[in-house]
Amino acid sequence: MTDRHTSSGPQLTRGKRLLLLTSRLWAWVFLGLMIAFFIITVPIFSGATFFSVRNSQNILVAITPVLLLGLGQTFVIISAGIDLSVGWVMSLASVVSAHAIRATFAWGFPLPLAVFSGFLAAVAASAVVGGINGTIIARLKVPAFIVTLGSSFIVRGVGLLLSENTTVIGLPNGMRDYGNESLFYWVRGEGGGFYFLERPDVTGELLRGMDRILAWPVVITAIVVLICMFLLHKTQFGRHTYAIGGNMQAALRTGIPVERHITKLYMLSSVTAGIAGFLSTLRFNAGSAVIGDPLLLSSIAAVIIGGVSLFGGAGSIVGTIIGALIIAVLTTGLVMLGVQAFVQFIVVGVVVILAVLIDQSRDLVLGRGRSRGGA
Amino acid sequence: MRKASLLSIALAASTLALTAGAGFAQDDDTIRIGFLPGVVDPFYQVMQLGVEQAAEDLGVEVVTQIPPTWGVEAQTPLLDALIARGDLDYIITAPVEKDQMITPLQHAVDAGIKIITVDTFLGDGDYANGPVHFPVSYIGSDNVEGGRISARGLAAAIGGKGKVYINSTNPNVSSVQGREQGFIEVMKAEFPDITVLGPDYNLDDQNTAQQQTAAIIEQNQDLAGVFGTNVFSAGGAGNAVVNAGLGGVVQVVAYDATKEAIELMGNGVVSLVLAQKPFDMGYLAVQFAVADDAGVTSLPRRVETGFAIIDKDNVSDPEYARFIYQTP
Repeated sequence: MTDRHTSSGPQLTRGKRLLLLTSRLWAWVFLGLMIAFFIITVPIFSGATFFSVRNSQNILVAITPVLLLGLGQTFVIISAGIDLSVGWVMSLASVVSAHAIRATFAWGFPLPLAVFSGFLAAVAASAVVGGINGTIIARLKVPAFIVTLGSSFIVRGVGLLLSENTTVIGLPNGMRDYGNESLFYWVRGEGGGFYFLERPDVTGELLRGMDRILAWPVVITAIVVLICMFLLHKTQFGRHTYAIGGNMQAALRTGIPVERHITKLYMLSSVTAGIAGFLSTLRFNAGSAVIGDPLLLSSIAAVIIGGVSLFGGAGSIVGTIIGALIIAVLTTGLVMLGVQAFVQFIVVGVVVILAVLIDQSRDLVLGRGRSRGGA
Repeated sequence: MRKASLLSIALAASTLALTAGAGFAQDDDTIRIGFLPGVVDPFYQVMQLGVEQAAEDLGVEVVTQIPPTWGVEAQTPLLDALIARGDLDYIITAPVEKDQMITPLQHAVDAGIKIITVDTFLGDGDYANGPVHFPVSYIGSDNVEGGRISARGLAAAIGGKGKVYINSTNPNVSSVQGREQGFIEVMKAEFPDITVLGPDYNLDDQNTAQQQTAAIIEQNQDLAGVFGTNVFSAGGAGNAVVNAGLGGVVQVVAYDATKEAIELMGNGVVSLVLAQKPFDMGYLAVQFAVADDAGVTSLPRRVETGFAIIDKDNVSDPEYARFIYQTP
């Protein structure tokens, strides 16, 4: 699976670390240039403003599912694996959490508690899938590609079976607020102001001018991001992940419990996807057995744009965030520019490849090839 | 009409050891119909209820096969399996592709099975004068017409002027293509004061539908309406509308009256729902089969089952509520 003998992040010399930092900044520069491009062109071509509070919040909400799927995937790909089941795990979790919320609410739970049990159900269901994936990959040595591809069919079938004609509806009134309301509110114009937690009771023009700042899905995703950053960059868990992806044999020789660690990685990947499914249930007020299907490719694209090497051993959480942002900024920007749909597809493809090319420059700078067995 | 081919007699004889004598004796007087819809979804499930109801009322037997996904690759093997049974007289099907499914369905005709298409058609849908003649009839509601009806419904709701936006699923699916086409056609021809934006394609991702619609609202503060070409798109688009404080101001039309769409309307996310009549399609198709079998020769080659527009005011009226797709 991995036969590269290059050293990974922590063992780099000071000079190389500096180069690595520079090339990492490239992703930021790329994102910055793209935002600047839209800030300039959108007003010229459509008379609207791209750089607004509401637009930034729309983009943050839009990246949450792609980012959550990408977070777990980042760990897995750094370990030189791949998890193709995340989209369907998200769908399964969406259905399971909807059932849990509906059942516990009908059972007499207060709404916040019912929503929380939906969260627990989503996490539990996805952890089971991840545990099975990981165990087969780690202990039975079946390639991750095959295992997760196979399990995605199983998960998809189970999700559809558990759903009611693909969607679970009849969820409690008010649940929608958990997926669409926010931490802060800013009401523009006269009689407006800044509000914390409590949604201001406004109507008409004031309601139109109300911005939701840090919607709950964004807050929850941010918490998951922080946990993942801590795990990957500050703990032994993270160091082992890089080590396994960098050189599996060396990792085994140094006494890292590789099998157990790989199982945990696939559980983590499933669970972040499960949280995405839970959030989608809250946002769209229904559990959907197909909600995650189209997200697999976007999430992998985000991870790769963000600089995670498909051959393992390199990558960061911040990179994945930038990757997800690049995709989302592009979608919003192109729609606001009024670019025709088919042209949008072409532009997205070109930008994704361009972003990865720029990222590759890091490998050129560091003198390590991506070819297998290089260095 | 009840001509059992030599092959089916041979098959029946060879499996006589396995089948009860009674079942074999029944073969000659019961009409057997295969039902092969497009995919698992509430629309076809209601159609199946229509088929089963008619089968019960008219005393015919129905065998149902449902493809798990939409596509020629998924539908053809199930069709072949139905043909291979050798005991079917009719197949009621919604071909998933108007050209690619011609040959596989021709095989059924060659095996002595008559075809009735529901919801979707083969060729141009004109079995009397068009390129495809072999099906008995097409019973359905044209997607282009559905797009036209949606356009008129939305135009009425927004007072005949303003900007409307189309959010669609995929550019290569003929059903939603037809809906877009009919919608744009009517807006251009009948409502000169309405500007159509889009379509944008969310690629079946509800999150993207919400993001795209939010961007359109940012660009066009005066947006008046949105046409979601299926429930999924309308749900995502409606979320963006509500979150921008425009619930009830920007009208959102959803195609297909699933229970989910009706619930979205109850929550104020969607304002108009376009209902097709899948129960009618299923029921009528079985009736047509029975009539054809009895020798009726004047069956129409094309039947339009029409639409109903459901909104907040008429949703509790039984005249309209009966068009909501009531699945078990």
